[in-house]
Amino acid sequence: MHIRSLHQFKKNRIGMTGLAILSFLLITAVFAPVLAPHNPWDYSFNCFQSPSKEHLLGTNDIGYDIFSELLWALRTSVLFGISVAAIACTIGILTGVSAALVGGLYDAIIMRIADALLAIPSILILILIAAYFMPSTFVLIITLSLITWQTVARGIRAQTLSLKTKLHIKAARNMGASTFYIMHKHIIPELFPLCAIGFVTKARIAVFMEAGLAFLGIFDPTTKSLGIMMSYAMRYLYLDVWFNWLFPPVISLSMLIISLAFIAYAIEEIFDPRLKVR
Amino acid sequence: MMRSRKVKIVTVYLLTIFFLLFFNFLLPRLLPGDAILAMYSGSEILVTEEMYSELVKLHGLDRPLHEQFITYLIQLAHGDLGYSYIAHASTTDLIMNALPWTLLLVFTSFILSAASGIVLGVESSWRRGGRIDKLLLVFMLLIDGIPSIAIGILFLTIFSLYCGWFPTAGAVTPYSNLVGLAYLWDMLLHLALPLATLTLSQIPGDYLLIRNSMVLTICEPFVLTARAKGLKKYKIKYFHAARNAILPFFTRIGIRLAYVITGVLFIETIFAYPGLGLLTYEAISNRDLPLMQGILTVSVLLVLLINILIDLLYKKIDPRVEYAY
Repeated sequence: MHIRSLHQFKKNRIGMTGLAILSFLLITAVFAPVLAPHNPWDYSFNCFQSPSKEHLLGTNDIGYDIFSELLWALRTSVLFGISVAAIACTIGILTGVSAALVGGLYDAIIMRIADALLAIPSILILILIAAYFMPSTFVLIITLSLITWQTVARGIRAQTLSLKTKLHIKAARNMGASTFYIMHKHIIPELFPLCAIGFVTKARIAVFMEAGLAFLGIFDPTTKSLGIMMSYAMRYLYLDVWFNWLFPPVISLSMLIISLAFIAYAIEEIFDPRLKVR
Repeated sequence: MMRSRKVKIVTVYLLTIFFLLFFNFLLPRLLPGDAILAMYSGSEILVTEEMYSELVKLHGLDRPLHEQFITYLIQLAHGDLGYSYIAHASTTDLIMNALPWTLLLVFTSFILSAASGIVLGVESSWRRGGRIDKLLLVFMLLIDGIPSIAIGILFLTIFSLYCGWFPTAGAVTPYSNLVGLAYLWDMLLHLALPLATLTLSQIPGDYLLIRNSMVLTICEPFVLTARAKGLKKYKIKYFHAARNAILPFFTRIGIRLAYVITGVLFIETIFAYPGLGLLTYEAISNRDLPLMQGILTVSVLLVLLINILIDLLYKKIDPRVEYAY
């Protein structure tokens, strides 16, 4: 690797802006239990209150403190995003690298499955599964990972194929290195930037899907979610609650996804120097 | 090699259909417990003894699995996607009533976003590193980050509820009996916000794709040749460089379609626009499983159909494919 990636990233303004926003949101999500002034599951009879010192963003239809709810919802989004990204990327990297190295029928089968999954809108599958099984958040995470790994696998496979023909890998193979050794010592480290982009993109899709599914009403209703907050706030729009109830989750979700989009673009620009603004 | 490419494509299509059948046919039947009760519990229908046996017969659940499968395929081939007990209508009819609105929305937004994405991408890459390029890039990344749900909600609250410029729901004003131009205007007013949302959520993707591929194309020798010949700038940009840079855009249409369907689902739900997306939302709220399966089938078949069309058209757009294989 001849690119000093960390140094380059530090110089990339778009990337650093994204990282700053993301860090802020991550810290908020991690410390939500400490930062939240109220228990967001504590309902009171003070519903539809306007923002005050006691309730920073007021209260909702059943007297939940909206600010505390927002912090916990952000936590759900972050958790969902990281889990799906981790699982989907692991599957994608393993299948992609092994397909490129093993080749033959195995490669053909994996890649055709990946292509076929690309044509099926994952949201509809999730909706169908959710309707049949009424699954827990954990099952939703696994399902979403199982139907979104294919883009990572395709990218990783293409890159591995081109790496495979490079001289140092041929040398390692001629010296008798096993497939596992080559994967572990040479290919996976060199695939890192692609994996990083894959991780960020998957996290982005997962965060969006979580909010979306919750918005449509197919998510565990007892968890706090930005999507659930939005869908309830939409029902009470006639009460002029948009500025303290509807917009906070909408803006938080946008900030989270914007930060991920910035970071993904920055990584892409660093590792494909041809794209860089001269 | 040409043959192997065809085999590859056909395999993918067959596999896609296999997945579709798996999710629609096998999954409900592999469920532990009773498929009928699972399908209709939680909905507002009380399943009586009489209705239960009728449903078992209707779904053919009293017959062996392979016979059920053949019946399912025959029904599918006849365009029969089942009957929705909740809406008391044939699923095919429900979907066919909703489909035109969705197609209108998707098709128009596709044209608008592609046109603006291509123009902005070409102009931006041409001024690469300049002030306009940098501003445009950051702006597009920003819009790219705002999810379609958020754009939809913001548009709805600001332009429909706060300013009152656009209607808040539907595709036409009900019971208004408008005809001719007045009807068209009414339809456009209802279409405006969902269309703007869907278009806006697609432009950044088009823009980034075209910009990246233009940046690489501009460096190629044939662009230098065109310049040396003294061609007009817009001719070099659009007829020489962009014609080549646009190719990845076409190969991506098929992949992007699945994402567009997701966007449409949320946008139609937010604006209560009576297309497939809103129908899906209603199916979720009523736990109308036959309807959900029907929508999945139609969506996947549409994606496949468009993929096939692109595969066929691509040879016309990029004649090199013919020789390459």
